Amino acid sequence: MTDKKKLWQIFGPVLVALALVGLVFFLPFSLGNYNQQDLKQASVSFSANIVKGEAVKNAAFNDKKVNYIPFFGSSELSRIDSLHPSVLAEKYKRSYRPFMLGKAGSETMIHFLDMQEMPKSLNHKKAVFVISPQWFTKTGSTAAFSVFYSPLQVVDWLLNMDQPSQTDQFMAQSLLKQSLVRDKPMFNRMLHNVEDGNGPSKADKSALRLQRRALVRQDELFSNVKAVNNYSRVLKAAKSLPNQYNHQTLDQLGYNEGAANTKSNRFHIKNSFYNTRVKAEVKSLKNSQVDYDYRQSVEYSYLQTVLANFAKEHTDVEFVITPVNQRWAKYTGLSDTMYYQAVDKIKYQLQSQGFNNIADLSHRGGEQYFMQDTIHLGWRGWLALDQYLNPFLSGSYKDNDYTINNRFLSEDWQNFKPQDQAPQTFS
Amino acid sequence: MPNLQPYADPTYFIYLLVALVPLAIGLYFGKRIVWYEILVSLAFIFLIFDTGHYVKQGIAILVYSIWQFLLVSGYSAYRKKANAAWVFYLMVILSILPITMVRLGAIGIYKPEFTLLGFLGISYLTFRSTGMIIETRDGAIKEFKPVMFLRFMLFMPTLSSGPIDRYTRFAKDASSVPERAKYLDLLNQAVKSLFLGFVYKFILSYYFGQIIYPFFQHLALNDNHHGFSWWLIGVAYSYGMYLFFDFAGYSRFALATSYIMGIDSPINFNQPYKAKNIKDFWNRWHMSLSFWFRDFVFMRFVFLMLKKKWIKNRNTVSTLGYFVNMMVMGLWHGLTWYYIVYALMHASGMAVNDAWLRFKKKHRDQIPHNKFTEWFAIVVTFHFVMLTFLVFCGFLDTFWFHS
Repeated sequence: MTDKKKLWQIFGPVLVALALVGLVFFLPFSLGNYNQQDLKQASVSFSANIVKGEAVKNAAFNDKKVNYIPFFGSSELSRIDSLHPSVLAEKYKRSYRPFMLGKAGSETMIHFLDMQEMPKSLNHKKAVFVISPQWFTKTGSTAAFSVFYSPLQVVDWLLNMDQPSQTDQFMAQSLLKQSLVRDKPMFNRMLHNVEDGNGPSKADKSALRLQRRALVRQDELFSNVKAVNNYSRVLKAAKSLPNQYNHQTLDQLGYNEGAANTKSNRFHIKNSFYNTRVKAEVKSLKNSQVDYDYRQSVEYSYLQTVLANFAKEHTDVEFVITPVNQRWAKYTGLSDTMYYQAVDKIKYQLQSQGFNNIADLSHRGGEQYFMQDTIHLGWRGWLALDQYLNPFLSGSYKDNDYTINNRFLSEDWQNFKPQDQAPQTFS
Repeated sequence: MPNLQPYADPTYFIYLLVALVPLAIGLYFGKRIVWYEILVSLAFIFLIFDTGHYVKQGIAILVYSIWQFLLVSGYSAYRKKANAAWVFYLMVILSILPITMVRLGAIGIYKPEFTLLGFLGISYLTFRSTGMIIETRDGAIKEFKPVMFLRFMLFMPTLSSGPIDRYTRFAKDASSVPERAKYLDLLNQAVKSLFLGFVYKFILSYYFGQIIYPFFQHLALNDNHHGFSWWLIGVAYSYGMYLFFDFAGYSRFALATSYIMGIDSPINFNQPYKAKNIKDFWNRWHMSLSFWFRDFVFMRFVFLMLKKKWIKNRNTVSTLGYFVNMMVMGLWHGLTWYYIVYALMHASGMAVNDAWLRFKKKHRDQIPHNKFTEWFAIVVTFHFVMLTFLVFCGFLDTFWFHS
């Protein structure tokens, strides 16, 4: 055998393999096919893969039959009980169905990124955004970044960008602090350009489009929604509800379920949560949160990036601000004053720019069985939230008049002290 | 600057293989472009250590290389004139000093700052330099060649986790060009190794290590009855499978890269779970490591004992040798109770195996030997190894003391 023939024998199969991979990635038809059942499951899967990718999200929000509304949030979304938004929407045949995006650790920056994959799904549409004041720690937390990050988010963001806005520049700067992004040479270069105010060039965009094809295919192949089955929990909970929606009856039901499920402790924390997460360390947690402070935080600027994005897409959005369990806050020494001041700062940032749909539950953590555990809404809290969500989501879309103020991206605002000055004095 | 951890993701292979093309073309046409080989090695090492917390490691590897250069070149010069045992032992001690300090630092003994001396690959580089000192003493290495020393020490494909090569073997390959037929054979093996590595490391190791192993860990942790749970069985086997596919997959990548560079690095795994006894297992598992220990620890220990007549009984000497050998290997992994227990288990296994073989030899007529007994031996060995891996993986430490 000649040497040339040998070379073919060695590398021929490699070329065939590469061609096959290329075929899978670049064939023009879609591999992601989701039926109604898949989308139902995905809407309460709380899966990081769905936040990461775009195939499932866009299939849901473009669905002709069901009006899925994105619920951006974090750990609270997964507290399914009888009065959870998904359960109420299912039982009372609402005109909308919540589609939950997020789980523990998905904070504002992550939502800015995952929104980049679904601009059409936000454009002149409704959304719900749940803000947890716990996100607003001094340096923010990007510990879960790697869980929710996908290069597809950055590719989509860059592809839709011509002249970088101040928000884009701020986001580029933040992303370059993440090694997952920074270590990719192409992103590293383009993000530095964005930081300096230069959008991706034509050549950059072709490179990004090529990347996008491979990433979209990967997303279709691996965003598996069939593995989870939370929707059965929703259906089961819906069964226990009376056929007629009656606020008083449901409130009583929430009260009874709350009472029945929190017997093991004086904090009114759900038994299962208390036993697995709190009980063993309860002594060491006493007064453990005395020094917690949510008033100065980089998270305020991340929140601003999301606001700018909603404004850009003309999204009609309802914000939810969650409370903490008062019994628990007393025990851990978390300061109410501090908490309320942080909430005031958040609300000023929202309202001064025209985001006036706010379900502010922050002062209601002391109501009986309002919380399912330490910081997560449950039973009567969910029902209270429904008083805001149902009218908003059942009503028609409204094009709000948002006016974005980029000063909220600044360190001045991050470090602004609502305890010294009223937020209204900031401009 | 991008940061590229060795063999971590598909893009790494693209960069690496593209960089190797000129070298491969050169070798195919009978020319070894040494300066380019050095350049590629250094570039890829640089890219491991160029950002963030890796920079400290980069400095550490630089300091480390200088230190070993001085030791090996100094000893080589000395060895030409004299051959005192104490100088040799001193040099070996100085050569393993950095890794010893890192290991001590890691468990907080003496000074935790010692861990600053550590870097990805320190455990493997130590074998290269310490091995050279030993080979110099034995006279296998006669001449210290600075450039060849650096090519060997900083040979990139096997830097992070082996296979562990010997200087004399490496230098022979690196100073010549393989014949075309031989190089084509190497390329053929490289392709096979690379793709087998993909299956092992990116598919099988992922499923065992990222999905099944944590699944059993979780079940075990929630089912702890006085320090025992049946789920530990699942932990042991899933970890055992993960460890093999992860390490064997990695080794395949390292070999494939070596082969393309025209270096026939030694293989590391040869179907280890088909071993018939523990000794056989170590002839098939992490072979380059166990052979290094066999030649440079076990054999030398046994010869020393017999030569000095400190112990006369050969069986006692080899049993003792197993324990010394395995203990050194265990401590090399790290100074924790579970590496030590793991070492003791394997050493005992070898001693028992020797005793059994002697017994079997004496009673050859009464003890059957057939296909069935061979399979039985394989099954017993496999399960014993899995038990030792349960200790080795460190989960018991979490399970018993930190949960």
